[in-house]
Amino acid sequence: MPSPVRILTAVPICDGHDSAINTINLDFIRHGIEVVYLGYHRSVEDIVRTAIQEDVGAVGISSYNGGHVEFFSEVARALRKQGADDIKLFGGGGGTITEADATVMRRNGVDKIFFAGTALTEMADFVRQHYGNTHRRRRKATPDMKLARALTEIEDRYAKNKRAGKPAKKKAKSLGKTRVIGFTGPGGAGKTTLIDELVLRLLRRAPQARIAILSHDPSVVGAGALLGDRATMINSQNDRVFMRSMATRGQAGGLSPATGECLALLARSDFDYVILETVGTGQEAMPFQNELVQKRVLVMNPDYGSRLQLQKIVMLDLADLVVVNKSDQSRARAAVSEIEQRLEQNKREQKLLSTVAKRHRDAGVDQLCDWVMD
Amino acid sequence: MSKLGRVVEAVENYNRFVLKEVKRARSEKKFGQQMIDRWNEVKAKTPIGTAPTGLKLPRLALPEIDEAGEITRYLLGEGLPGEFPYTNGAYREMYLEPLREPEVGSFVKAGQNGKNGHRKNRKKAPALEKTKQTEEPTRLFSGFGLAEDTNKRFHYLTGHQRSARLSTAFDGPTLYGIDSDADGVFGKIGEGGLAIDTYEDMVRLYDGFDMGAPDFSASMTISGPAPIIMAMYIAAAKKRFGPKVVPNLRGTIQADIFKEVQAQNETIFPTEASLRFLCDMIEYTTREMPRWYPVSISGYHIGEAGATPVQQAAYTVSNGFAYAEMLAARGIPVDQFAPRLSFFLDCGLDVEYIALARASRRIWAIGMRDVFGAGPKGQMFKLHTQTSGRSLVAAEFKNNLTRTAAELMLAYMNGTNSCHSNSADEPFTTPSEEWIRLAAHGQAILLDESGIFKHTMNMLTGSPGMKAVERAVEAAMLEEFRQIEELGGVLPAIEHRYQRSQIQTAAHRYEEQIYNGTRPIIALNKYNDRKDEMPEVKMVRTPRAKKQLQVDRLAKFKKRNAAKAERALNELTEVVESGKNFFPMLIETVEVCSLGQITGRLQEVVGRFRPMV
Repeated sequence: MPSPVRILTAVPICDGHDSAINTINLDFIRHGIEVVYLGYHRSVEDIVRTAIQEDVGAVGISSYNGGHVEFFSEVARALRKQGADDIKLFGGGGGTITEADATVMRRNGVDKIFFAGTALTEMADFVRQHYGNTHRRRRKATPDMKLARALTEIEDRYAKNKRAGKPAKKKAKSLGKTRVIGFTGPGGAGKTTLIDELVLRLLRRAPQARIAILSHDPSVVGAGALLGDRATMINSQNDRVFMRSMATRGQAGGLSPATGECLALLARSDFDYVILETVGTGQEAMPFQNELVQKRVLVMNPDYGSRLQLQKIVMLDLADLVVVNKSDQSRARAAVSEIEQRLEQNKREQKLLSTVAKRHRDAGVDQLCDWVMD
Repeated sequence: MSKLGRVVEAVENYNRFVLKEVKRARSEKKFGQQMIDRWNEVKAKTPIGTAPTGLKLPRLALPEIDEAGEITRYLLGEGLPGEFPYTNGAYREMYLEPLREPEVGSFVKAGQNGKNGHRKNRKKAPALEKTKQTEEPTRLFSGFGLAEDTNKRFHYLTGHQRSARLSTAFDGPTLYGIDSDADGVFGKIGEGGLAIDTYEDMVRLYDGFDMGAPDFSASMTISGPAPIIMAMYIAAAKKRFGPKVVPNLRGTIQADIFKEVQAQNETIFPTEASLRFLCDMIEYTTREMPRWYPVSISGYHIGEAGATPVQQAAYTVSNGFAYAEMLAARGIPVDQFAPRLSFFLDCGLDVEYIALARASRRIWAIGMRDVFGAGPKGQMFKLHTQTSGRSLVAAEFKNNLTRTAAELMLAYMNGTNSCHSNSADEPFTTPSEEWIRLAAHGQAILLDESGIFKHTMNMLTGSPGMKAVERAVEAAMLEEFRQIEELGGVLPAIEHRYQRSQIQTAAHRYEEQIYNGTRPIIALNKYNDRKDEMPEVKMVRTPRAKKQLQVDRLAKFKKRNAAKAERALNELTEVVESGKNFFPMLIETVEVCSLGQITGRLQEVVGRFRPMV
C-alpha cells in the first residue's frame, strides 16, 4: 500500500477564522489524508518551514479576512526561493476570493483555488488525485530538506512493506553530543505544552543548540490522521527546531512502525536534543524499547483516579523522570505524594517534578530543563 | 459550586415562586385584588397614541386577562417592559416614537445632505433631544483602509441620523495587537477593518465628531488588545478635548476574552493574564468613565463560529456571570460594574431566534438580582444584535436582503437595544456604500416607515408560539449551565475545551445539513438551477499606496518617540509585575508607544496565548 497523501493546512497571519478549516480537515482525514495542521494566525515563514520539514505534497490555506492575494503569493514565492516549489499551494476563502483574485494568484504560483459552494468531497478528491505524488528531486536541497525527504522515504518503505527495514542499531554512547529524550503519558496530561515550554527554555539557554522533535498522533482506523501538535506549539516554530509529525498508521503502543528508524536518523543528524513524543498512552504502554532513548519522561495528570491505578502503570517503573503536570489542580498535592510512594517501591533513582506547563515562566518547567540539559 | 450553579437554582426557585404566587392570587382574596388593582392601574395609565392614519392605539399592549392568577403570572413571570424580570424588554418605551403629532419635514432625506443635514435637523427639532427616543437604535459596523477613510464613512453613515452612533471594525494586525510594519502583514493592512497603530490614528479616526457630546457614542469591536486600544481612545480624546472630557466619554469596547478563547481566536495573552488586564480596565472605566460600557459580552462570534442558538445564548450569558463573579471577587461593588455590562447576540433564521433574547434577558435579571444582589440597572440585559453573517450566501446574493430583513424583524421583536443589519454583499467583501446604504434603510423602513414597532410596545410578543419557544430555550440554556457547572464553572470548562468542541461539533453538523439538503438554503442547495458566475460587486480593497502611508506614519511616530518609548515600557513592566492596576499607566504609555511595541513588551512579561485546537 502506498503512503497516505500528506498535506499541510493553515490559516494566515492575523486571521482567526478556523471554522472552515476545522471542518475541511475532518473531511480530509475521513478520505484517508494525513493532515499536518499548523493552526491559525500563522506567518509565511512558519508555513514554508513546516511544509519543508514535514515534506508534504501540498499546502492548503484558508483565508477569510482579506489580503489573500499578497499572502498566497508570498508563500508561493518563498517556496520557490527555497527550491521547494514541487510543494503545491492551494486554498480558498469562501466568497472573499474573487475570480479576478484567483487569476492573479494562479499567475503567482498558486495551483488551485476552491470557490464558495465547493462540496467537501470534491476538495478531498482533488487533493488525493493531485497531491499524492508531487515530490521531485530538488536541485539545491538544504540539509533540512534532505533530512525531511529521507524521513519520508523511511515512512514510505514501511507503508509498502511492514517489515521493510530494521531499525539501525546504534549504541547510545556513540551519539556524541546528541541527547535523546522520550515523553509519554496519557492523553490530556499536557505533554505537547510541556515540550513546547521546554523547547522555549532550551532555545534561550543554549543559544547555538538545534532541536529535533518527533511527534506522534494516532491514525483514524482505516483512514488519515490529524497531526495537530504544531498548532499549539507556538515556541517550537523556529529555524533552530526541526519538527516532524508522524501518524501511527495502525500500530498500537504510541508510536509508528517507522519511528525507530526515523529516530535513529535524527539521532545521527546534527542535533543537540532529539525529543520524541508518543500519542496519549494507556497504563500498559512501554513505548521506549528503543535503546536510543536516553531519558524517559512520563507526564501525568493529577487526576488519574484512585491510588490503586498507580500500581498498574508500567511506565512508572521504567521512567527516569515522572512529571505531575497541571499541579495547580486541587488534587495535585495528593497525587505527588502518592506517586512518590509508588516510586519508592522501585528502589532506583527516579526523579519526580511538579509543573504547570501552561503558566508563563513556570519554575517546575525550569527544573525540567535543568534535568534535560544535565 | 460556582455562581453559575447558583444561577440555575435561582431561576428554578423563581419559576416556583411565580407558580406559588399565581395560586396565592387565586386563593387569597386580598392578594388577588391587589394584583387586579395594579393591572387596572397600568391599563388606565397607558397613554394613547395616534397612527398617521388616525387610528388610536394604546402605547403598551397587554393580554386580555382579568383573572388574578393570570395577571400575576404575567406581571411576575415576564414583567412589563422595563420591569423585572425584563422578559419583554429592558426599557419601557424602546422604539416608540415620541408622543406628539408628527412633525412635517423633520426627516432629512437619508445621506443626501450628509453632515449638514444632521446639524440642521437637530436645530429644527430641539424637542427631540429632550425625549427618551433621541437616539436611533441603528448602529452600523464600519471600518476599512486607514483612519481617515473610516472617518469619512462614519460621517456618511451618520449624516442623516439625529445622533452619531459609531461602530468601529479593526483590521487583522490591529486585532492581534501587531503593528503595520510587522513581517508579513503588509497585505492585511486596512483589510476587513481599519488599521490602528498609534493613538494618533485614533485622533484621525474620530475627527469632526465631538467625542464628549451626549449624543455621540463609539463602539469598538476588539478584544485581545482591548485595554491598549481603550487607552488610545482616552489619550486621543484628551489630546483633542482636554482631560475633562474623560468622564463624558460614551461607548462600548468589546473586550470579551471568554468568547475569543471559545470561538473567535483573537487572543494574544494567556487567558488569565488577559482577564487580569480586562479587570484592570473595567475597574478604571466604571469608576472614571461612568457612561462607558467596558465589555460587550458577545455571542455573535460564537454563533458565527457554528454554535446552535441555544449554545450561543447559554455560553454568552454564562460568560457574563463569570465576569460578574471575577469583578465581584476583586471587590468592585456590584452596582458599580453590573450596570456597565452589555451583551451582543447574533440573530439568524433558526426558530430559536424568535425568543432567544427574551429568555436571555430573564435569566440574566434573575441571576443578577438573586445571586449577585444587583440593583435594577444591573439586572437589565442591555443588548446589541447583529443579523447573521453566516446566514448570507454568495449565490444570488440579492436574496440576502430578504434574509437580513427577516432577521431584523426577529431582532426587534426580541426588544434589542441596538442593531446592526448586514449588507447583502458581505459574503464577498467589506460592504460597499451601495449595499450598506440599503442595509441601513432596512432598519429605517422597519422602525420609521412601518407602523410595526413605533406605536405600541409588545406589538408582536406573547403569542403562544413565541412563549413555547421561550420556555424551551430557557430550559435548554439552564441544561447547558448545568453541564458547565459540572466541569467546575466557565473557566475550567474553557480549559477542558468544552465550549470549543461543542461549537465545532455544531458547526460540522450545520455544514453537513447544507450539503445533504436537510437545511435548505435558497439558491445554494434549493432552487439553485441558475448557475451564474460570481456576482459582480465592487470589492472594497485598500490600495498599496495607502498601506505604505500607514507604515511610513508609524515609522515617523516610532522615530519621534524612540527615547521616551523604552522608558515608558519599562515603567509599564514594573506596574504589571507589581500586580497593581496597570490601566492608568497604560493611558500614558500609548502617548509614546505603538500598539505592537506595547503588545510585544506585555507578552514578554506575561507570555503569549497558546491556541486551542
